[in-house]
Amino acid sequence: MDKTVERKKLFRVFLVLVAAVILEATSFIQFRSLFDTARRAAQKNAEHILVTSRYAILDVVEQAEQAIRDNMWIARWCLQYPDSLVSVSARIVENNRAVSGSTVALVPGYSRKFPLWAPYAYLSGNKIEYTTLATATYNYPNQPWFTKALEKGEGYWSEPYLDEGGGNIMMTTYSMPLKDRAGKDAAVITADISLDWLSEHVGKIDSYDNAFSILVSRNGLLMVAPSDSLSMKMYLGDLAANMKDKVHFHELEEGMMSGKTGEVSIKGKHDTFHVYYSPISRTDWSMAVVFPDKEIFEDVRQMGLMAALLQVVGLLMLFFILRAMAKSWVDYQKARDNEEHMESELQIGRDIQMSMIPKNFSFPERTDLDISATIVPAKQVGGDLYDFYIRDEKLFFCIGDVAGKGVPASLVMAVTRSLFRNISALEDSPKVIVEGINWGMFDMAESEMFVTFFCGVLNLEDGLLTYCNAGHNPPLLFTDKIEMLPVLPNIPLGIDLGMEFEGQTIQFHNDDAIYLYTDGITEAENADHDQYGLARMQAVLHERRSAQEHLDAVMASVRSFVGEAPQSDDITMLFIHYLNKKQRTDVMEKHLILHNDIQQIPQLAGFVEAIAEQKNIPQAMTMSLNLALEEAVTNVILYAYPEGTDGLVDLEAILRDDSIEFILSDGGKAFDPTATPDADITLGVEERQIGGLGIFLVRQIMDRVLYKRENGRNILSMTKNI
Amino acid sequence: MEVFIEKENNVTTARFVGRLDTPASQEVSKSVEPILEDPSGTIVLDCKDMEYISSSGLRIFLTIRKAAASKGGKVIVKDINNDIRQVFMMTGFLNLFEIQ
Repeated sequence: MDKTVERKKLFRVFLVLVAAVILEATSFIQFRSLFDTARRAAQKNAEHILVTSRYAILDVVEQAEQAIRDNMWIARWCLQYPDSLVSVSARIVENNRAVSGSTVALVPGYSRKFPLWAPYAYLSGNKIEYTTLATATYNYPNQPWFTKALEKGEGYWSEPYLDEGGGNIMMTTYSMPLKDRAGKDAAVITADISLDWLSEHVGKIDSYDNAFSILVSRNGLLMVAPSDSLSMKMYLGDLAANMKDKVHFHELEEGMMSGKTGEVSIKGKHDTFHVYYSPISRTDWSMAVVFPDKEIFEDVRQMGLMAALLQVVGLLMLFFILRAMAKSWVDYQKARDNEEHMESELQIGRDIQMSMIPKNFSFPERTDLDISATIVPAKQVGGDLYDFYIRDEKLFFCIGDVAGKGVPASLVMAVTRSLFRNISALEDSPKVIVEGINWGMFDMAESEMFVTFFCGVLNLEDGLLTYCNAGHNPPLLFTDKIEMLPVLPNIPLGIDLGMEFEGQTIQFHNDDAIYLYTDGITEAENADHDQYGLARMQAVLHERRSAQEHLDAVMASVRSFVGEAPQSDDITMLFIHYLNKKQRTDVMEKHLILHNDIQQIPQLAGFVEAIAEQKNIPQAMTMSLNLALEEAVTNVILYAYPEGTDGLVDLEAILRDDSIEFILSDGGKAFDPTATPDADITLGVEERQIGGLGIFLVRQIMDRVLYKRENGRNILSMTKNI
Repeated sequence: MEVFIEKENNVTTARFVGRLDTPASQEVSKSVEPILEDPSGTIVLDCKDMEYISSSGLRIFLTIRKAAASKGGKVIVKDINNDIRQVFMMTGFLNLFEIQ
């Protein structure tokens, strides 16, 4: 009996020891996994910060680049009259909030009359001031913004520099070489943007107390740094002195300076830093997010300490609760397995989704297509899809959204996508393709899943777009305006397997585009559960950009609207821009800006000449258009602005297939030339009035003349049918 | 734009060369002042080398025509090209001048 008791006791002690070992091992594993979770969370956060900051920066960068692009034509035009170049600079500054200064600087010797010429317009308070950069001390032809732009033959972002005249603000300059009509380098056109918003946008990291961002220029200058004593004064390399671990610091330096993306951990003097970095395209800047080791793991370490203490207490009690502990541990293990299982299931779903999507958007051999697409999966795998490819000079494309989430949705998405590929390999008609996919789909009625789907086939030779919509939200059509593509109300796929669908067609012209999207964009919600909506999206798409830039801009806009709220649905977009130069150009715009000086009138002749050449207008009509414009412009120059004051006259021509519309606008006093009575041309010599012929001629020559007063401006629209 | 004025007997000839647009008209209105001082004879406005005319140019022509009419003079417009003829037609000037 004694022996049995003894054995039982020994057995219990043994069990406690085994359990203690198991417990320690478990808590060690747990501790490790907590570390990993914290590390992963930091990594995720860093990626998120890098992406949002990049979009914020590129947004401003884009504004400056766009300002230059928009004004290249005018600047090229003004090359013949260098003294009018200042109006181009003024216009760039005036019309672009991001731009604080601008010049069009002539290549030395380009103009015989003005061997050195660089009028500079800049914002001082709310006013535009003017000065010249063609001074002996500044010597603009030696400045990097000037030389680099010419050397590279493309847009160039300068190193950041201190603008000593403008209150010590950090600036950077975007400069672009300007060729004249003969293709000769004529000038460099620039836009300055101030960088004082950078620290605002880039510096802050809300979720961690001691984490920070740094931004370095292509030469390694610290543009944003945790302390003011560093930023814009020190270089990344200068920080090496503070690092124990020089090897990894050099790895970081090299990675950032060569525009790579990566992560590295570096031992500093007091702490270890975990650094995540990524380049900002176009500007050659690189950004890094830095988390001190303490910051990431402090909580975990404290928890570990607490756990160890509790274990000591727990071990004392273990003898009594041994069985219960063992049981709960088994339960815990089960739950953990299950969770991991789910996690990996989602990962598989996401992997399937991403692997089936075309990622190479450029068809380098094609000049008639600018295409870009993006898909941003939500955390919970959804079922968005898109696809496109070219066969027999036809672009086949589709977008779809599976109603439902998780792995089942991503499988349906995979099936839909492979049906699309297989059927469209043999079939050209979207109607037939859509019916085929619908028919080939397994019956999803029970799973309550269905797919909204849009399929299009664009004939690249003649621009004919045939399409079939199965319950997807209508794409946007870009012609000279943006509108919804008309779609028939077909039901989604997977509801009625024998369903017949109706197809539609529309004629695409050169420069038309189509933008397809899923409701993950319009229904993206911010923290207050407001939806992003169609109007915001359309407002972003209004500007003229490349396909990729369009998608980036929408994404940036959605991100800034949504803020910190989690993404609940996949976001998918597809932008197709058709550029068939062989087709006739339908709409084109030309611009001319004049001062209110009668001596500027001869510029009109060249302006009209260029349009006439473009549209093959006969000589007689060219002259009468010149005459009408001269009369209308003279009228503004002589009467709109008070004598002796400087004012601008803006003339825009919109060239359409069958007409040219000239829009003349000025900020002078209100005057409606269409309200004056016609001159009486039947009167004899004595009665004939000397004046009043100018406006009469405008009305005689033009087919339609309309006047309106808008925002304090006179706007006269004159249309000539051709 | 250049104007060459010659006077032979009773005939004053003004030869216009180039584009008679608004800025040019400001100078031309000065150059033709001698004609306006004595508009009694025959005035020939030679437009063979005139490429273009705007309403301010037409005003100069009309001023000359009015001055001549008041003194019983005669104004002949010579060799206008088809484009300018079109402008003369639109403005009713074809009826005001003797066109050769």
